[in-house]
Amino acid sequence: MNFTEHVKIREEKFGAVIFETLREKVFVTNKSGKEILNLLNQGYSLEKIVDSLTDNYSATDRQIIKNDVVSFIEQLKENNLLISNSITQ
Amino acid sequence: MKSINFKDLKSPLFIAWQINSVCNLECLHCCEEAGQSIPGEMNREEIFNFLKQVVNLHIPYVALSGGEPLLHPYFFSICEFLRKDNISLKVETNGEFIDEEKAKKIAQLRFRSVQVSLDGATAYSHERLRLRGNWNKVVSSLRILIKEGVNTEIVFVPTKFNIGEIGQLIDLAYSLGVYGVYTGKIMRIGRAAQNWEILCPSEKDYEYFFKSLNEKIAHYDGRMKVYYYPYDVLEELKYRLKFPAASLLVLPNGKVKLIGPLPFICGDLKKDTLEQVWENYKKAWQNPKVIKFAKEVIAQPRLLAEANRWREI
Repeated sequence: MNFTEHVKIREEKFGAVIFETLREKVFVTNKSGKEILNLLNQGYSLEKIVDSLTDNYSATDRQIIKNDVVSFIEQLKENNLLISNSITQ
Repeated sequence: MKSINFKDLKSPLFIAWQINSVCNLECLHCCEEAGQSIPGEMNREEIFNFLKQVVNLHIPYVALSGGEPLLHPYFFSICEFLRKDNISLKVETNGEFIDEEKAKKIAQLRFRSVQVSLDGATAYSHERLRLRGNWNKVVSSLRILIKEGVNTEIVFVPTKFNIGEIGQLIDLAYSLGVYGVYTGKIMRIGRAAQNWEILCPSEKDYEYFFKSLNEKIAHYDGRMKVYYYPYDVLEELKYRLKFPAASLLVLPNGKVKLIGPLPFICGDLKKDTLEQVWENYKKAWQNPKVIKFAKEVIAQPRLLAEANRWREI
């Protein structure tokens, strides 16, 4: 999964800002969203992202984390911020 | 994902930088009253000191304008510096100085876009508004940029002289292969304020304009972006009083303006750090003087003529 060409991500105290500079649209996310963005930026697959977050949030069920990550990634795609061939990539 | 409050941000998300004031044209509607250089424009050292801060503060997006930015002696050095750190870069130009060599350079640097002012579908109306302008040269520049694969946009400002040409202009833009056409009501600032009576279209003109525009938006849907900026300068000001933008407007002399329609200066990049200016900017929007004057401007639009008579706050 890759961010589209004009996407810029900046970390902030509250999480992160995602700025799609071609369409001049700004999105904001919390600290959990920031973690997912960082992992996506490092080229992690969906399963690896879920594994990494499950390790960090051991009290939370893996399936719940996976649902949240899938939902977040879907939002990124719907807003043309992220491209991938498949969700399992 | 949620909505944004500019006060929560550690630095601006966008910098609109007028890198110079010099321009070969004398457009009747120029917001900046560009023409000659202004005293104290930033020198090379000051420019690169500012640029380093832009990079260090992770500002994602910069737009260069002027004057005419391609007349700036360090134009390409500035662009290279910003693009080296992958900062999105838009350049707003009158399109009179683009040749194949420059277009190739721009293409290599992968700008977000080059935004070219084209104020008519015909040379007659474009040149009547943009004094000393050359419509053929601008259209030729558009062709060159597009040939080199540069993401190219056209900006069109409707006035009494050209408002009837919006449909034709959008067709021309499509035939050239531009990425998008941007338009919005003329702003009553700078030279446009001085020439308001001869420039400002009538309500009837605007009716025709919106009819043509909406037809073209529908016609080119999915093929070319046609965007109308919905706020005039006063509506924008009203909105910004409630929701200031996460952006700074940097003038050629390093002073930083709060917003185009107001005369207030909230910092000086020759003396202050960009971080300090950002903090000043946040506070300035709550300054009673600013709020009072902004409300006066909204009530009496003729005060927009003060916009370029800068006042420190």
